[in-house]
Amino acid sequence: MPANMPRRVKWRKQQKGRNRGNACRGNKVTFGDYGLQSLDNGRVNSRHIEAGRIAATHYLQRQGRVYIRIFPHKPISSKPLETRMGKGKGETDIWTALVKPGTMLYELSGVTEEIAKAALLRIAHKMPVRTRFVVRRNER
Amino acid sequence: MEIATVKGETRKIGNRHAMKNLRAGGMLPAVIYGHKEKPEHVALSRRDLLFALEQGSYVISLEVGGQTSQYLLKEIQYDHLQQHPQHVDLMRVTQDETVTIQAVLDFRGTPAGAQLGGTFRIAMKTLPVDCQVKAIPDAIRVDISHLGINESIYAGDVRLPDGTSYKGDPRAVVATLAGKRGMTAAELDAEEGAADGPDEPEVIGRTAKDDGDDES
Repeated sequence: MPANMPRRVKWRKQQKGRNRGNACRGNKVTFGDYGLQSLDNGRVNSRHIEAGRIAATHYLQRQGRVYIRIFPHKPISSKPLETRMGKGKGETDIWTALVKPGTMLYELSGVTEEIAKAALLRIAHKMPVRTRFVVRRNER
Repeated sequence: MEIATVKGETRKIGNRHAMKNLRAGGMLPAVIYGHKEKPEHVALSRRDLLFALEQGSYVISLEVGGQTSQYLLKEIQYDHLQQHPQHVDLMRVTQDETVTIQAVLDFRGTPAGAQLGGTFRIAMKTLPVDCQVKAIPDAIRVDISHLGINESIYAGDVRLPDGTSYKGDPRAVVATLAGKRGMTAAELDAEEGAADGPDEPEVIGRTAKDDGDDES
């Protein structure tokens, strides 16, 4: 099943909140050998995530493995077009993942660095945030 | 084992502004501890440390005020982008002391099953091993040439150099050669599309009646 929204939620709508600071977790290449890391704060919605996954899997032609490190937990509501203000909060329009500078968005394994760079560049073009390519570092 | 020389100087414990100024000057704050002695605070040359890390050193020779001592690189903290080192933990060690290090695994050869379409996947890039400081291996070589499709190399199968031992789970998977998936990318996409759930997630503790009340 594509990662487009949670299966069960406690509440249907959430407040907007603020997305500040840097990622202090989820900022290392953990599962794969190469990663795509966010350099900005932002919202990556379920369509972006799916577009990135498709771009990478089509390029890789079943080589290697793509890991998606983010999940859209946050519902974003919007009012229908040409609607007067009021009458309560709009319905959920899309689900998003909040990302911070450092958040690892995708990881790749089982391919060469050259192929990984090309595949992650294709994902990067689909992302609404600036990103950079990273290689896994051996832990001490 | 390579032992890189790193230049350093003593420092006082400072606040974050002092540390920021220290880093701006090309130095890195570090702490030395171990052997039940009082911890010492030092500043290391960032350039020298990066060179040591590039060489894959586990032990560094630190030169402070004309005196040189060897320390184990215990932990390195990085910034949020995991790009620039921010702080270093050094541990006092003697050459005969046994330490636990994350030894780098060096996979050699081409798996036999790779020609049949298998994908080589590394589960562990490093292996925690116990060894004496003087016997720290540069890397542990792992021969993967015999690996067939859907076969794995376990931690217990890895041939360790003399003087090193592994005390973890011997059945931990180090690397595997995975077979090709049975479906094409298009088929996979189609199946994933078909597996799409409902448009809205289920709300915990809500019934259809509650939803009806909401709308009214």
